[in-house]
Amino acid sequence: MSIHIDAPIEQPAVGAGPAPRRGRLSGGSAIELFGIPILVVVGFLLYVWWRQTATLDSIEASSLDWSEVRLEVWQHLKLTVVASLVVVAIAVPLGVLLTRPRLRFLAPAVVGVANAGQAAPSIGLIVLLFMWLSGWSGFWVAILALALYGILPVLRNTITGLQGVDPTLVEAGRGLGYSGGSVLLRVELPLALPVIMAGIRTSLVLVVGTAALATFINAGGMGGMITAGITLYRYPVMVAGAVLIALLALLVEWVGRVLELLVRPKGI
Amino acid sequence: MWDFVVDRREQLLINAWNHAYLVILAVLFATVIAVVLAVVVTRLPKVEPVANAVSAAGLTIPSFALIGLLLPVTGLGDVTALVAVTFYAVLPILRNAIVGLQGVEPGLVESARGMGMSEPMTLLRIKLPLAWPVILSGIRVSLQMSMGVAAIAAYVLGPGLGAWIFQGLTQVGGKNAVNYALSATIGIVLLALILDLALLLVGRLTTSKGVRV
Repeated sequence: MSIHIDAPIEQPAVGAGPAPRRGRLSGGSAIELFGIPILVVVGFLLYVWWRQTATLDSIEASSLDWSEVRLEVWQHLKLTVVASLVVVAIAVPLGVLLTRPRLRFLAPAVVGVANAGQAAPSIGLIVLLFMWLSGWSGFWVAILALALYGILPVLRNTITGLQGVDPTLVEAGRGLGYSGGSVLLRVELPLALPVIMAGIRTSLVLVVGTAALATFINAGGMGGMITAGITLYRYPVMVAGAVLIALLALLVEWVGRVLELLVRPKGI
Repeated sequence: MWDFVVDRREQLLINAWNHAYLVILAVLFATVIAVVLAVVVTRLPKVEPVANAVSAAGLTIPSFALIGLLLPVTGLGDVTALVAVTFYAVLPILRNAIVGLQGVEPGLVESARGMGMSEPMTLLRIKLPLAWPVILSGIRVSLQMSMGVAAIAAYVLGPGLGAWIFQGLTQVGGKNAVNYALSATIGIVLLALILDLALLLVGRLTTSKGVRV
């Protein structure tokens, strides 16, 4: 039995799976690459059709008013994008540092801590940060919580990706007269990029989903429609909110997938 | 914090027990569902990419959204929590079960057939035992994810420790708000560790000697 999927607390869509079998575009990823946008568009059109034709009472109509929905989508996207940028800005340099010879010994400890942190339930983390940082605005508390939550996949994949670079290639780079920094930028990072991007996609999915909980700490986002639907006891509102969040999450995941294909260096 | 926990230890233990019960039940259901699906999928090669796409898309759907979708059907309470947790628990196990079953060497299956084993016997005595370690690592991932989903399900009155997180949230500023949220969060982390260890033990006991690493 040679397969060993090492996954102590591996996250949902980590590009792990049977990665080596995936060519440029295998059957599965082709379905995902073209099927998801179609699904999202069809789903959204169905929503628009339903919204225009359904008879809603005044509470439902005001909760699902277009300007309200637009605002929540915008807040949700802002949370997702800002948190993801923070994640990349922290996790990639940190991963680079932890693979340098002098700090390499720290890598297992840091990944271990990050792994354990991931076991904390997202809702608990958000609520606790909200209580502890009562001076902060809800938005930045949410960003902090989302970023903390999204760091692990990128950090782990950055470390794995850089460790996977063939040392003889690094050697060859040095032999060509590159400095340590140039080797990193021109050899190591490009080679590790596919693995790092897979981590970023996983993190995007985590962040966009967890952002639905931001509404609990008054940081906005599309979770608001679901909580409104539940507290007002209006099924149409909660289902509409749920469908729209799911569509947005699928779309964000798809963008991650496309980015992954676009930034892949030609030689790999 | 300490006094708070000691004062409410009974409720805390009940919540922890309910949380564990919900997660274990969901993961058990999920394992059965996922293994059955994986057996079907690996027999129909055409379905496999579809199954993988569905499981990837399924994991993308935020758990809070799924809870919103389920609510009109299953109502507030335990059933919604159980269905939601089970849904997410199926996906990692399914993916690993497919990989595990595909990883079984065809030669071994061939020789089992040659020994006169029927198709179901081959599945039970050769394929599943060989794929079990891979399936188990999928179950570990599921278990960890389920702990968090179960916490969110407390918002729709699902059982478990999540209730205290939301109770803390509604009392923000009150003197016990942090205690509620913190003890529940730590409780969930500890529970996750304990169940993970228990699963490792179960894995050790249920993995056939020949494939143990």
